Amino acid sequence: METQEAVAESTPVETSGQSDSKRDGLKKFTLGPHDSLEGKLTYDGHMTVDGGHAEGEFRVGGNIEIGNGTVVKALLEGSNVTIKGEVEGKLTARDKLTLGKSAKMNGDVQVRRLQIEDGASLNGYVRMGDFEQQAGS
Amino acid sequence: MIGQLYIEGDLRVGGVVEGEVEVTGDVEIDDMAKVKASLAGRDVSIRGQVNGAVTARKRLVVARSGTLVGDVRVARLVIQDGASFSGKVSMGAAAEAPAKKAEVEPVAAAAEPQAIAELPAPSAPAPPAEARSDGKGKSTPAAVVRPKSSPGKGTQPKGKPKRR
Repeated sequence: METQEAVAESTPVETSGQSDSKRDGLKKFTLGPHDSLEGKLTYDGHMTVDGGHAEGEFRVGGNIEIGNGTVVKALLEGSNVTIKGEVEGKLTARDKLTLGKSAKMNGDVQVRRLQIEDGASLNGYVRMGDFEQQAGS
Repeated sequence: MIGQLYIEGDLRVGGVVEGEVEVTGDVEIDDMAKVKASLAGRDVSIRGQVNGAVTARKRLVVARSGTLVGDVRVARLVIQDGASFSGKVSMGAAAEAPAKKAEVEPVAAAAEPQAIAELPAPSAPAPPAEARSDGKGKSTPAAVVRPKSSPGKGTQPKGKPKRR
């Protein structure tokens, strides 16, 4: 991942002109208020849900962000997962899960690191530790 | 300290505690503390190691140096980055509402699933004489003492441990 970043910065040949590539070279897409996603998604990049409708099973190589006021009913898997809205379903964060103050999480959670801010709501079983099986990488 | 502890006021733990701790005020578990106990309090703050169920009528904070293994029933929960936590979390209106009445309520609610499992409706009032004559569950005095909870459950733990 870090080597990719270095390459991308020194020789921005492939990435030049592409608006959806970020600094770390991973793709990114955002679900806006008028967007809808239903079903099974496997994606090697970052995913942001900010408003809109999202339901199903999302396995993402990069990070997941659930924006404020967004309701997501899904199985989520990502590296860093940040929740500010409402999530119902199982969640796996290969690195860190952050629950913002407005977050409502309903479901079992498996994470490496966990941060919960005051005001967040969580109902479910929390499992913490390193992952033996490196899913998705 | 080993045993049960009930305090009207605040409690700060800096050493080793085993058993059961119930506090009307706040509980603070210091960095070096090792607690193997169920904790109940208003504000609970954990900076050391805790192994056991935690009930916080107001707020539970697990600081970055804290480690908590156990089920948690709280109104509000803060986990700082770096903290370690494993267990089931119950929070929200269900945990908040009964907290106002008394601390007996949340405890009873927390124990509810267990209580159901432990106390299956005593289907047949087994007469003690029968239990003795059966000899199925090795009618030790213990089995006779416990029939009120459940005759079946009383015999199970005796027989099951030796299944392997």
